[in-house]
Parts: sequence; C-alpha cells; structure tokens
Amino acid sequence: MVHAFCAEGTYYLFDSASGALHICDALTAEVVKKKSGEPYDLHGVDESEIAEIEEEIETLKKEGALFAEEEKEIPLKSEEVKALCLHICHDCNLRCEYCFAGQGSYKGRSEYMPFKVAKAAVDFLIANSGKRRILEMDFFGGEPLMNLSVVKQTVDYAKAEGKKHGKKFLFTLTTNGVLLDEETAKYLNEEMENVVLSLDGRKEVHDAVRKTVNGKGSYDVIVENIKNFVKMRGDKHYYVRGTFTKKNLDFGNDVLFLADNGLTEISLEPVVTDEGSPLYIAEEDVPAIAEEYRRLAREYRRRKAAGEKLFNFFHFQIDLDGGPCLKKRVSACGAGNEYFSVTPNGDIFPCHQFADMPEYRMGSVFEGKLDGRIRAIFRDNNLYTREACKNCFAKFHCSGGCPANNIRKGGDINTPYKITCGMMKARMECALALYAEEKCEEK
Amino acid sequence: MRRIKTVAVPAKRNNTGCGECRSC
Repeated sequence: MVHAFCAEGTYYLFDSASGALHICDALTAEVVKKKSGEPYDLHGVDESEIAEIEEEIETLKKEGALFAEEEKEIPLKSEEVKALCLHICHDCNLRCEYCFAGQGSYKGRSEYMPFKVAKAAVDFLIANSGKRRILEMDFFGGEPLMNLSVVKQTVDYAKAEGKKHGKKFLFTLTTNGVLLDEETAKYLNEEMENVVLSLDGRKEVHDAVRKTVNGKGSYDVIVENIKNFVKMRGDKHYYVRGTFTKKNLDFGNDVLFLADNGLTEISLEPVVTDEGSPLYIAEEDVPAIAEEYRRLAREYRRRKAAGEKLFNFFHFQIDLDGGPCLKKRVSACGAGNEYFSVTPNGDIFPCHQFADMPEYRMGSVFEGKLDGRIRAIFRDNNLYTREACKNCFAKFHCSGGCPANNIRKGGDINTPYKITCGMMKARMECALALYAEEKCEEK
Repeated sequence: MRRIKTVAVPAKRNNTGCGECRSC
C-alpha cells in the first residue's frame, strides 16, 4: 500500500512494501489516495491532468517503487535462542507509580537472583544458541544495581564461557541511577555494550511519579549520577529512557529538557497502565500526542537550521536504505521464541513483561527445555497473522506491536494495542519527513 | 512534468535473518 501524507506543507508518498519514499504535490497525493482506497478530493480537476499523474505513478510502479507487490512468503523462524533478560533482582529502591513490575517485586515478594541461577542461565543460553555467534544478556529488575555482585560474577562467567564456545556476549543494564556512584559507573562503562538510564525529564514531571521509598521525588537523588555517567560514556551506547503519562502530554518539553542537560540519546515512551489510573493514556489523548510529536519534530528542524546542538530522539530515527531484513521485521523482538526472561528463581518467561503471569511460565534454566505449546504461540504468530495490521503503512516498522501489550490490552497476541498504533503512525510520519529533508540536503 | 521526486528506494529487502542485529 501507499500512504500519502502532508508534513509542514510538503506532501509525501510512502510505499510500505518496498520502503520507497517520494515527495509529490498536493494533487498527486489525492490521486494516490484514490488509488489506495482512501478518502480523496479531486473535485474540479481536469481529467487529462489526472491521467498524466497516473502515467507517472504507473512508471514508478513498474520500477517497484510505488504500489509494490508485498512479499508473501512467511519467513521461517529458527529456534535458536539469541538473548536472555535476567531479572537480577525483584526489588527496587524506588516506588514509581506506573511500574509494570509492581514496584520491582512483580507483585510477589522481594527476591535476589543467586549466582547459581545466573550461571545456569548463561549455560542455557549457550546450549540453545545453535550457530549464533553473538549472544545478548540484559540485566533487568527491579533495580539490578541492588544485586551488583551477581551482575559482576555473571559477566565474568559469561565472558569465559563465551570464549570457550566461540560466542561473544553483549551486555545491557537498565538502572534508575540511585546506586550509580563513580565506581559503579566505571564498571558499567567498561563492561556494558548499552546502558539504559531511567529519567522522565523535568524535575516536577519526574518527581510526580518516580518516588523514593519514603514517598519523596527521586530527581535530586539521581540526576547528577546520570549526568556524570553520560559524560564518562563518550560515544558508547546509552539511552535515557523516560516514560510520559496523561499528566505530561507536553512530553516534548521533557525531551528538550533532557537534551539541554547534555543527555542527548533519548527514548520517551507512553505509559501502559490500567484504565482506572490517573496516569492512563486514553484513545482520546492520541491526537494531542500526535501533535506533540510534530511539535518536537518542528523544534528539531529549528535547532538544526540554527546550527544548535542536536539530540537523538529515537522514534525519529529511521533507516530506509539499510533497515533490517524481512525476517527481522516480521518476527520483531522474538519474545517467547528467541528471547526469554529469567526470574530470580530460574523460571523462564516469554519476556520481562510476563514475569507476573504464572500461566506463561515456560520452564526453568535448570530443566533446560521449554514449554512447546507456549513457544508455538509466539513462534507462529507474527506480523502476517495480525489482521488489523494488514493495511497499515507502518507495519514493517512496528512489526505488529509488542506481544505483551497486545495480550494484556488487546486480549490476544494478534490484536495490536490500538492506542500505540495511533502514536506509531504519527511519529513515523515525522521520522519519514525528517529523513526526506536530510536526504534532499545531502543531494 | 515530473510531479513525484523520489527520495529513497531501498534495495530489495533481503531475508537472510543472519541474527547479527541487536535485540523491544
């Protein structure tokens, strides 16, 4: 399908099957909308003019750059495991209101992963990784730095075992920054391929939802730790990963606040919470959120034109020329088939978001085998089995959404969470327009 | 008159699934 849209007065055509992007005039956009079965307005337009446009469209169609045929083959998926998320600690030193992990304990009791579980997880990953050479291990919580000694033991063990088996481990750790002192920062900087830092933006926004155990805001406790770490990090991977809620639908200001404080690698995501919560983002909020993405894109353009320091808002990144292969686009995160999470006692779940759902327990790192029935649900359902995604222009970039969100909010793995669909489309239009502008500047 | 200006036409999407890319 071809999606015609307008951003800042320029009209674009995006061909979802081929990934081709074009700039056109308003009339061409209307002709394309008509051909795509979308509402259009060609009132009073001369037929010969329409015929001329259709001829040009036909030429691009023959070149596979408009109305391209979609590949119908469903990619086969391997059963090689590529990544594990270790719940190194089901406990936390913050009490964030929106925490899907139930303030760190996943609605259970506080629990710390012993090294024998982490060691068994490393062995499980290597044994089930098949021909894969690069393996990933994420340290997640709760707050992983509350169990740093086991993180260190696990890293040492994985590196040694990886060497023996010809595997390279990439480590990631997510932290709220409370325990990120200089010594810990040096360790993470040395050993972690990526570090995800939780900070929501402006102090008043952050403090309203991310509180200490005593109920006070945590901004002042963590902000210098995070800034110091980012300075130390240089050009290695890190991300400041914040959450926005109903209370700050002007989240663009939080992105800019982070950028202006030297934290330029930014991912700010919508909260996914229960409908009764005052933080809940409803369908009626989506137009305002879409406008906020557009406002942020406008500010990005302004800063670029003025030669000011830029920031990297990851939803505005898009790689049309060198994006991932079709197999990756269709299977996405691979949760429940190629990627699993391990709880402190060694239980295996499809991903970190299922750890409080006992019906999704797939086995244990000590058993070495996985529940084939649950695995099949995740392996056999992918972008192509999601009916609602069939005619969506964004499908090869969102891959049918997050399986956990689909199950929790949509009711099953093949029903995308409608609210995130609206946001995805809006920010993708922003990303495509920014990409086109950059390409035109290069030419 | 050409009304459509092409910005990007990616090479045909491969389907190798080599698994080298990063893991949400």
